[in-house]
Amino acid sequence: MKRAHRRTHFAIWAILGPVIFWVLALAILNRPDAPVNDALPQVLIEEPN
Amino acid sequence: MSHDYKTVQWTPYKKRFDLWMLGGIALYLAGFIAVSYTTQPAGHSFAPIQALLRATGTLAFLLLTFILCIGPLARMTDRFKPFLYNRRHLGVTTFLIALIHAALVILWYHGFSETNALVSIFISNPRYDSLAGFPFEILGFVALIIMFLMAATSHDFWNANLGPGLWKALHMGVYLAYGLLVIHIALGAIQFNKSAIYVALLAGSAITVVSLHIVTGIASLRPSDRTANEGWLKVAAVDEMEDARAKIVRPVSGEAIAVFRDGDKVSAVSNVCRHQGGPLGEGKIVDGCITCPWHGFQYRMEDGQSPPPFTEKIATYATRIVEGVVYVNPEPNAPGTPQSPSQIGASA
Repeated sequence: MKRAHRRTHFAIWAILGPVIFWVLALAILNRPDAPVNDALPQVLIEEPN
Repeated sequence: MSHDYKTVQWTPYKKRFDLWMLGGIALYLAGFIAVSYTTQPAGHSFAPIQALLRATGTLAFLLLTFILCIGPLARMTDRFKPFLYNRRHLGVTTFLIALIHAALVILWYHGFSETNALVSIFISNPRYDSLAGFPFEILGFVALIIMFLMAATSHDFWNANLGPGLWKALHMGVYLAYGLLVIHIALGAIQFNKSAIYVALLAGSAITVVSLHIVTGIASLRPSDRTANEGWLKVAAVDEMEDARAKIVRPVSGEAIAVFRDGDKVSAVSNVCRHQGGPLGEGKIVDGCITCPWHGFQYRMEDGQSPPPFTEKIATYATRIVEGVVYVNPEPNAPGTPQSPSQIGASA
């Protein structure tokens, strides 16, 4: 890669890396205790039309 | 080399690579769905489409992680060079798998809405102030758009028309896409899936990708600590130079220089390939030509020109051997200028 591209490449990771780790840490440490159920409740599935 | 344009520049090697890749993808998807069903708690409802959308989502992310690791790893070991050569097919395939994932998500989670499904992604969840409830799908959608732009411009036609500089800048968007996807998963799947495997995969991917790029980035920016001899930079002792391979020298200013040994001859050229800026010094000499590890562009050692009918040219550099040590003049000749190679044994 050209020197300018190598500099840009490094700058991107120097900024992106800490942002990724910061959000990742926040997301993992603040996970809700009860999992959110993404399936339909049984009562809705069984309800006749 | 880009003498003319073909839809896909197949070679037997690339075909074999693609077959292995498709086989691996099929195996992963089948395995993921099978494991999802066998490990499902009793009484828990689980639609086949959910298994498929999770399988395609995890696969696309793992493939992207691998793609981003190929470059740095290829600098550390030759074993990853074949993947470097086939990275483009892997990238387009990753986009297609991500597209299937997105289509399934839209169909399953937004397809039953009265609102247009694409609009629903952006307005159905306005909880921007919540970490656990953040509308993470938007992040994935933006990453998908970036990946689409990259896949759509991956052909040499676009590289030639945009120019290598702009093309490279555009394709650095993959780093932003990766960052968005990490956050997409962190605020999405990680929040409502308690499995430690998801957390381990995500954190492992982020740590590996970021650290590999930071470490190799620092190494590639640091000028070579070279002894100068009348302004000429020391490369290495002749005995340390592997046949058909190069040593890369990074002057304080200007581009890096690739110094190749071919039998008893030593020549130096610019380390930057004219195609996409690939690191020529990480390639090798094939059929008497310096061959870029990225896409196989070739240049003659003696003048830095691509063999006919191709027209690409790179800068050449003067070399000399003093007491068994190779030196290179950091002042480049104009691209395509003939430069006599140094003869090993002639001056020692």
